[in-house]
Amino acid sequence: MRYVIIGTSAAGLAAAETIRQRDRQGGITLISDEPHLPYSRPLLTYLLGREVDAEKIFLKSHDYFDRWGFEPRLGAPVLKVKPESREVHLEGGETVLYDKLLIASGASPRLLGIPGEDLAGVYTLRNLADVENLEKGLPPGGSVAIVGAGAVGLKAAEALIRRGNRVTLLEAESRPLPHLLDQTAAGLLHQVLTSLGVESHFGVRPVGLMEKKGRLNGLLLDNDNTVTADAVIIAVGVRPRNEFLAGTGLDRPEGIPVSPFMETGHRHIFAAGDCACAPHFLTGEPAAYRIWPAAVAQGEIAGANMTGAGRRYDGILPRNSISLKGVKIIAGGLLEPDGKDGEVFNELDRSRGHYRRLVFQNGCLVGVTLAGPKAADAGIYFQIMARKVPVKDLPVDIRSAAFHPGKLWA
Amino acid sequence: MKTVIVRPERCVGCWQCRLACAVEHSRAKNLVGALFEEIKPKPRLRLYPGRLHWAFPNKCRHCDPAPCQAVCIAGAISKDPVRGTTDIDPARCINCAMCAMACPFGVLTYAATFAAPERRAVALKCDQCPDREAAGRLPACVEACKVGALTYGEVEDAQVDKGRALAQAVFASYQAAAEAVPGLPETISLWRKLT
Ligand SMILES: Cc1cc2nc3c(=O)[nH]c(=O)nc-3n(C[C@H](O)[C@H](O)[C@H](O)COP(=O)(O)OP(=O)(O)OC[C@H]3O[C@@H](n4cnc5c(N)ncnc54)[C@H](O)[C@@H]3O)c2cc1C
Repeated sequence: MRYVIIGTSAAGLAAAETIRQRDRQGGITLISDEPHLPYSRPLLTYLLGREVDAEKIFLKSHDYFDRWGFEPRLGAPVLKVKPESREVHLEGGETVLYDKLLIASGASPRLLGIPGEDLAGVYTLRNLADVENLEKGLPPGGSVAIVGAGAVGLKAAEALIRRGNRVTLLEAESRPLPHLLDQTAAGLLHQVLTSLGVESHFGVRPVGLMEKKGRLNGLLLDNDNTVTADAVIIAVGVRPRNEFLAGTGLDRPEGIPVSPFMETGHRHIFAAGDCACAPHFLTGEPAAYRIWPAAVAQGEIAGANMTGAGRRYDGILPRNSISLKGVKIIAGGLLEPDGKDGEVFNELDRSRGHYRRLVFQNGCLVGVTLAGPKAADAGIYFQIMARKVPVKDLPVDIRSAAFHPGKLWA
Repeated sequence: MKTVIVRPERCVGCWQCRLACAVEHSRAKNLVGALFEEIKPKPRLRLYPGRLHWAFPNKCRHCDPAPCQAVCIAGAISKDPVRGTTDIDPARCINCAMCAMACPFGVLTYAATFAAPERRAVALKCDQCPDREAAGRLPACVEACKVGALTYGEVEDAQVDKGRALAQAVFASYQAAAEAVPGLPETISLWRKLT
């Protein structure tokens, strides 16, 4: 059996290891256009902020591919996939044949589509090469504008403050992490940002990038204000990487459609991770939510199914953990109940920085936000959510201020 | 493989396990020394007031596969193939709390440790006292427990004796469920056993 995997990151490696555990003999080829050993994308902002050393971002040892019996093809961009002849075409003309193919090609940053995005001084942050470019191009102590107060934008802001840059954060919505946090939690986060020294502007969109001598020197906003900046990082989300799938019908803008078994519409082709469009765990609707844990889980299932396991994926439970300046906010599930049988419970203690918000729908827990020290209990709430059972069946009322894990077990 | 078995129904909430755990995870590894350390050592197990019992001891179950390991974005969590423990490398941990998002037991604490003095806080949890194990001694919490709420034994024995060892039964059910279905749903059956 010849297994071929495009992508050597969270989803691709989880799949490869799962395949190897179930099939000792089969050939497993791992292809990536990046030349590096597998590394952690989420650590890139920590690398930028000099919080972790360069060698710590690598997730696997030097003999990793050998030990697992994988055939790596690093620095080899895939140009085309031909499902009829089961071929993967690499740059330089080489063709790799497969019996089972996994597409785990991740995503790439979206741009704004405004004039000036090709100027020197305009950056995105997704790959190790992007950090290398920033290292080279960022003026020490200079001012940087970050467009987008999502997870990447926020972590980038913290990193740049650590480097001694002045940071202006621009967000089109009215608050940071608008899809994950409510007003109150976002307010707590905003406080942390301010205490870091980040200047934030909400409800504004850049409409153009200004240049001086061929370099970026500022942004023009839709409210006619300008922001001067020596550099700009565009962090407004990602789009699935699927340009090499043109002609297969899989190159959909929302991601590669997959069955609950992570199969695509083509026999023998599977997809997992940021490039795929899996359903939301709670609503069953396509969920454009791209996180490391989901990529690992999908990779494991795709890998197992490529060896014939027949495992089912029940969907992405959107959730994330934001830790800024040591302050932790963990949130996930639905932000608001989506029907009239919904209910939202809040518990706020500003003096202790504690916030707990629970969202219920038809008696089940469907959303949670925890800020402050109690964020460490988040996993318990997500387990309750994953059960999809009415909370009245639990031995304690999870709304009670005295709720803690012991109450569930005793 | 031996592990710490929790029998919450026996716990009287005397806190000796927490004290012993904090001391074991100090630089000095003795009470007097631990008290004066610059970075205050933290216990890696918690005691909650229970619903039916006086107290509920809660600690890492060293799940296999470990959900915290699957979500760790820093490559800081690994399984020790010999000891069977789930270990966190404080030198790699970035205090992002992804593990807290995944841990079905809520056992993680974030605080400074002498083992990574350059970090403001890292994820801390039970490591099942490797130094003690190497010296043929019991884990600190087990040694300190005088009421049989924390004992040290073979995983297999404990699995057979599910009724007595509630926490271990939870651990066992997690493993069994993980075999059947991967991903989120496996934890559903876990919680059925829990409650
Ligand atoms: C700065 C940053 C911070 C983040 N922080 C978090 C966080 O805290 N928590 C969290 O859950 N998630 C975080 N994420 C998101 C997380 O990194 C992604 O969800 C995860 O990496 C997805 O993994 P993947 O395997 O699907 O794809 P990717 O990691 O994108 O990997 C795709 C792979 O495919 C290769 N590839 C793509 N196209 C081709 C081609 N044509 N030819 C050859 N190779 C190709 C790429 O080179 C790469 O190796 C962060 C992301 C970034 C950028």
